[in-house]
Amino acid sequence: MGERAVTHARRLTLAHLWVAFAAFAVAAVLGVWQMWARSPLPAPYLTAESYFTSVTAHGVSMAYVLTTFMVMGFGYYVAETALGRPLPLPRFAWLGFWLGIIGSAMTAVTIFAGNATVLFTFYPPLTASPFFYIGLVLVVVGSWIWCGLMLWAMLDFKRANPGVPVPLAMFATVANAVLWLWTTVGVAAELLFQIIPAAFGWNESVDVGLSRTLFSWTLHAIVYFWLLPAYIAFYTMAPQAAGGRLYSDTMGRLTFILFLIYSLPVGMHHLFMDPQQSSAFKFLQMSFTALVAAPTLLTVFTISASLEIAGRLRGGKGYFGWIAALPWERPMVLATGMAFFMLWFGGGGGLINMSFGMNAMVHNTSWVTAHFHLIFGGTVVIMYFAIAYAIWPTLTNRLPMSPRLQRLQLWLWFIGMMVMTLPWHYLGLQGQWRRVATFNYSDPIIAGWGPWVIVSLVGGIILLASALLFVWNLLQFHSARAVVATDLRPIYALAVHPPERVPAALNGFALWNVLVLVLMVAAYGYPIAQFFIIDAPEAIVHRVNGRG
Amino acid sequence: MKPAELREIDRPWRIWASVIIVSILAFSVVFGFLVLPIVQGRAAGLDAFTAICRAVGILPGSPAVKQPTSEAKAQPTTQVAWSTDLMRTFGRRTQAGAEIAQGCVACHGEHGIAADPQNPNLAGQSAAAIYKQLHDYKSGSRVHDVMTGIAQGLEDRQIVEVATHFASSARRDLDPTTAEVVDEDVIRLVERGDPSRGLPACNSCHGFNAGGPIETPTLSHQNREYLARQLQAFKTDARRNDIYTRMRSVAVKLTDREIERLATFYATTLSY
Ligand code: HEC
Ligand code: HEC
Ligand code: HEM
Ligand SMILES: [Cu+2]
Repeated sequence: MGERAVTHARRLTLAHLWVAFAAFAVAAVLGVWQMWARSPLPAPYLTAESYFTSVTAHGVSMAYVLTTFMVMGFGYYVAETALGRPLPLPRFAWLGFWLGIIGSAMTAVTIFAGNATVLFTFYPPLTASPFFYIGLVLVVVGSWIWCGLMLWAMLDFKRANPGVPVPLAMFATVANAVLWLWTTVGVAAELLFQIIPAAFGWNESVDVGLSRTLFSWTLHAIVYFWLLPAYIAFYTMAPQAAGGRLYSDTMGRLTFILFLIYSLPVGMHHLFMDPQQSSAFKFLQMSFTALVAAPTLLTVFTISASLEIAGRLRGGKGYFGWIAALPWERPMVLATGMAFFMLWFGGGGGLINMSFGMNAMVHNTSWVTAHFHLIFGGTVVIMYFAIAYAIWPTLTNRLPMSPRLQRLQLWLWFIGMMVMTLPWHYLGLQGQWRRVATFNYSDPIIAGWGPWVIVSLVGGIILLASALLFVWNLLQFHSARAVVATDLRPIYALAVHPPERVPAALNGFALWNVLVLVLMVAAYGYPIAQFFIIDAPEAIVHRVNGRG
Repeated sequence: MKPAELREIDRPWRIWASVIIVSILAFSVVFGFLVLPIVQGRAAGLDAFTAICRAVGILPGSPAVKQPTSEAKAQPTTQVAWSTDLMRTFGRRTQAGAEIAQGCVACHGEHGIAADPQNPNLAGQSAAAIYKQLHDYKSGSRVHDVMTGIAQGLEDRQIVEVATHFASSARRDLDPTTAEVVDEDVIRLVERGDPSRGLPACNSCHGFNAGGPIETPTLSHQNREYLARQLQAFKTDARRNDIYTRMRSVAVKLTDREIERLATFYATTLSY
């Protein structure tokens, strides 16, 4: 199945992705200022309040707005292009979009008015203005509509094509929608039953153990929600861009299923140092966490094999000759290579974080922030760029003169990310705290950190340059001379053995939902129930504007 | 393909996926809930049952160590423990409160605004701050010739009533014409602190939107002399009722000159 016309998705995808990237560009500016604030160089406008306002805005924009709009927009695109049929109920898609816009605007106004400095995690007893949370709830409700539409589109396709396998790109997108529905249950419960009532002043105290547990339910799985577009690109777009085929369609399906199953009952690895959970449940979730490595290893293997096919088709010889033979000048291929490179470092860091003993050393240090910038800001976001470059021609029917600036932009992002995050990791090992605005550089121990923070700052500046160049590159599409759509290359890769019939298990999610339920009950049942069985002490809520 | 055929190729997937996933679950449960705690508990001298209950979280404590015991006696800086029940008692202004407040007029002024700048204004101070200070005088955590005796004469309920009373009184008016010329150095201390001395911004606790501890007092509209004396008292360890030495650790880093200027700043500046 090659390229198919985009109908409703054209405007939907453009609208979603432009919102995503606008938020991203603003947040990138804030990010650089934050690094400057943490460095020994005197930063303008720096107060504790402005710092936490900025980190809240940066974290929310990057982690919630960029990602959610990206996933939704890309999902609409995949639903039409991979299934080859118009999106059902486009009106609802627009409803979801506008809910997201209103919610994001509400949240942004609240943050910049100084009424939300609680950062992007929901950890009471600190609370922000209720509008901060209500805005985010609206974004989530908008994304639930998206989930419904993705499921609907897949079921529609199955009804119309009995026995035909759902194309991998769509199967994976629906996996992400199902994952997201499960993921948001934890944070939704926390917001609706604990935080929003507390923020309004209806509750005077809050059980922070329960809220941290509910947030952990969401906190790991949400990372995979952000990540899956990158993996969809690895499986369905990169092999095609490289001129090869996907080594195995079944591996792809298994990978996305494993992500669905093992990204959920594992969130307690964010609570290793917390007292409210017991060691046995921490162990259980840690052992499931180890299994999350499986789909990533499957992917590294499958995609390397797919690229090897491409390299050999292009005349590459020997053990490594196929690597040199790959068309690195194509942004999708280049980005995939860089993403894999960063995945090695980020994945290694992740293994350290998930190990109970080593976690104690890095917990709440800059190591953690550096880690997720590398894997999320690096591996994931660089694939967002590559996806945008790949689909923008079909969205605008235009092609800029050459992808040279696109390659430059990817290189800048890759180099900037390495320069920023490697010293940042090191600083974490030295004990530098995360979420701290300024450091006492006159202290002889802390003084030694200064030069490394400045190196990170330089990396941040390179990243900002790349972010702005990215926006510029996308704008180029809109002003470039028009080309005919038929000139455009198909986007999705064929498998070496295209699937003709697949078992229902690999073509839908009923079985996997049951298994997720079993695992979630085992992993989170008692850890949540205990708060209702045991009389737990509660913390007094801190409200914004609470004192004058 | 016929539905029957489809079902045929699906069956092994359904069965094997369930078997594998449930076996992994079972393995982790056996290992984490039984084997590990029993082994760890044996090393720590705990019986198997206790160790398992601790691992699961039914009993408190770790399965790997005996509960530590200690002879140490805590010497709390204050006897005040915040609870929602206590917080809930604030907020209703009562006649009784107004009557008790009559006993304070001599020093704290007619409406909680002291005539003598050595004495603190109470009007508009937060109820939690007033409550904590009176309670501390009463319990001996904070000591003062006059206030200790006065506080000892008040019952807990009366402390709540008088605290609520003053909290809801209007603050001292500031005369805009006497407002100090903006003191940039002090504003920097208030808003940013001084990282080079490890000095946090006063605003990070005392600020309007700050998430500081509940008992953090309001400083604006307070009297200059009183503020300066308190900062000196914290600095010299003469006042030591601040939990975790929050204020002492700040004040000890301030120079005498900074204390004077901060006191002037809070006593005269309108917007803090
Ligand atoms: C004889 C004078 C006098 C009387 C009467 C008096 N106070 Fe005080 N009060 C003081 C002085 C002086 C201080 C400052 C003590 C210090 O430096 O520790 C003070 C401090 C306080 C403080 C601490 C304020 C702060 O910001 O930390 C509170 C609260 C307080 N008084 C409440 C009362 C109440 C309530 C009454 C009446 C029941 C009362 N006082 C009666 C002289 C008095
Ligand atoms: C870490 C939070 C924190 C910071 C930072 C902080 N304070 Fe405080 N401050 C407190 C608390 C809490 C109290 C009440 C102590 C108690 O429990 O008696 C207090 C009390 C005071 C008092 C006594 C007021 C009274 O009515 O008795 C003064 C004066 C004061 N602070 C000034 C400052 C100044 C000036 C700065 C900045 C240089 C500062 N504080 C920074 C938390 C803080
Ligand atoms: C321009 C490049 C970037 C720079 C210079 C930068 C820098 C920073 C800095 C300095 C912090 C504060 C860390 C702390 O206080 O401990 C931060 C926080 C954060 N960043 Fe970035 N960042 C960049 C890009 C990104 C990207 C691309 C993402 C993800 C898509 C991202 C996600 C986050 C999140 C979620 C937080 C909040 C962390 C927290 O609350 O602890 N950032 N960033
Ligand atoms: Cu995680």
